[in-house]
Amino acid sequence: MKIKELFLKPYSKYIWIALMLVAWELTAKLAPVSPLAFPSLELILTALIDSIINGDILMQMLFSLGLILIGLGIGVALAFMMSFLSVVSPVFASFTDTCVSIFHPLPGIALLPLIILWIGTGSMAILFIIVHSVLWPMILNMTAGFKAIPEVYKKIGKNYEFNTLQSIIRIFVPASLSFLIAGLKISWARGWRAAISAEMIFGASGGIGGIGWYIFNKRVFMDTAGVYAGILMIIAVGIFVEDVVFGQLEKNTIKKWGVA
Amino acid sequence: MKKFMIILSIMVLLLTAGCAKTETAGGQKTIRIAEQYGIAYAPVQIMKAQGLLEKNCPGIAISWEQMNNTAAIREAMVADRLDAGFMAIPPFLIGWDNGMDWKIATGLSSVPTGLVTNTSINNLAELSEKDRIAVPQPGSVQHILLAMACDRDFGYPQKLDNQLVTLSHPDGMNALLSGGDVTAHFTATPYLEKELATPGFHQILSGNEAFGGEFSFIVGVTTKKLHDQNPEVYAAFNQAVAEAITFIKDHPQEAAVILSDAYDLPEAGVLAYLSAADTEYSQTVKGLQTFSDFMLKTGYLKKSFENPTAVIWEQTDYED
Repeated sequence: MKIKELFLKPYSKYIWIALMLVAWELTAKLAPVSPLAFPSLELILTALIDSIINGDILMQMLFSLGLILIGLGIGVALAFMMSFLSVVSPVFASFTDTCVSIFHPLPGIALLPLIILWIGTGSMAILFIIVHSVLWPMILNMTAGFKAIPEVYKKIGKNYEFNTLQSIIRIFVPASLSFLIAGLKISWARGWRAAISAEMIFGASGGIGGIGWYIFNKRVFMDTAGVYAGILMIIAVGIFVEDVVFGQLEKNTIKKWGVA
Repeated sequence: MKKFMIILSIMVLLLTAGCAKTETAGGQKTIRIAEQYGIAYAPVQIMKAQGLLEKNCPGIAISWEQMNNTAAIREAMVADRLDAGFMAIPPFLIGWDNGMDWKIATGLSSVPTGLVTNTSINNLAELSEKDRIAVPQPGSVQHILLAMACDRDFGYPQKLDNQLVTLSHPDGMNALLSGGDVTAHFTATPYLEKELATPGFHQILSGNEAFGGEFSFIVGVTTKKLHDQNPEVYAAFNQAVAEAITFIKDHPQEAAVILSDAYDLPEAGVLAYLSAADTEYSQTVKGLQTFSDFMLKTGYLKKSFENPTAVIWEQTDYED
């Protein structure tokens, strides 16, 4: 098989990752770099395994993921309500537009000093930042999706004499699902980033804290290999969610239905 | 295959591009110093304002780098972008423990530190699991002092470690005074005095009580590179710190004018902080052994030193 073909396969991502790891190891071993700045893969893996066995890294990861799941749930529900109302009422649509243009470009981290004053520093504050990062991109995608539904679909709903709830479930959601999934992907990535940044600033809000707190702790105790171990965990979770969770979701819905 | 090689070489280029740095030309008289703000760093500001380094080492090129915490200073030193910085003893020891090639060049200051809570809490034992304690960061001197007090009172230094919240001094003060879930704040001058002046808040532990004596709050640290390759600059640095300390002692009024300009604080307030009974500027490093022994015993450090010369340069004064 030609080399080029290797990179056209679905697993090409992992070949690239392997190449990057080799480049990393060669740099760490051969270049005159301080292990404090550029630890070798063995050191990073040792730190990771040690954190898994002796530390709380798995619990901290679950804690972060749990917060994001809750945040995503709240964000998606709110976004759904606002987007649907916007489709139904042009007045509400202009309100939603205004909110999006005000809040969408505003990074959650910029709100941090205010959030500390309003709701303190606990999990609630992190949740607030996650919902903020999830809500606006989700609304943008949902309204775009609802607007893109062909008029004839809605007419079919009327023909079947669906009430509002039925037409949401059977017409609006399936017909705009590719937009919803794209929105979910963006929201997940934003929420994940926001949660980790917030944890790195707020600290152990839930007792053991989340994965951001893990990295922060490793940094202040100058355990560079540990910092990289935490980053590796974040990357691994990111790839898992992208490939497995969203991959399966798409395969079983929009790809199967042929709407993507 | 050709394409593949091109892509690979671009990747290598991208990976190495970040390594370019502002190299200091060898043999030249240059120093890069971390600049931090606060009453505890007053001699640094005096040194800068009065040009003491320039006076002691004519022709020196100084670059003052803004840094907001000790982790950033350590990282900048590892990256060879910084030669000297000022910090507390515990973060210095953590860096030394992890293999950083640096030592303490001088003591700088001792200032009032303490744990402030709202008045419904009267001692450490009354801090429940729901209470959150703001510190500048884990591994900071405030955190280690808290662990020392927990060790003495409960025999369990990590008792409050899962209740720490990392907040800078001003954010920590806001969080404490706004009455949210942060109910305690381990801080230092001038935030300590501001919090204590607010009704409803009091100090339940002072830094000296926690430590069991006096200690250097801030010390000056330099890299081995500066010390070995640029002895002239190194000596001028120490001389400048000494003169700045003498200036503050001899002319507190003038020092207060300089600092109130730099920090944008009222002059009378600065003078009061400078001349407070618990505030002392001194080149003598105090408390090194006690910090090291405690941090080794409790696992915050992995190794200790046989002889203090392993962590301080040869001319540095110390006492324990």
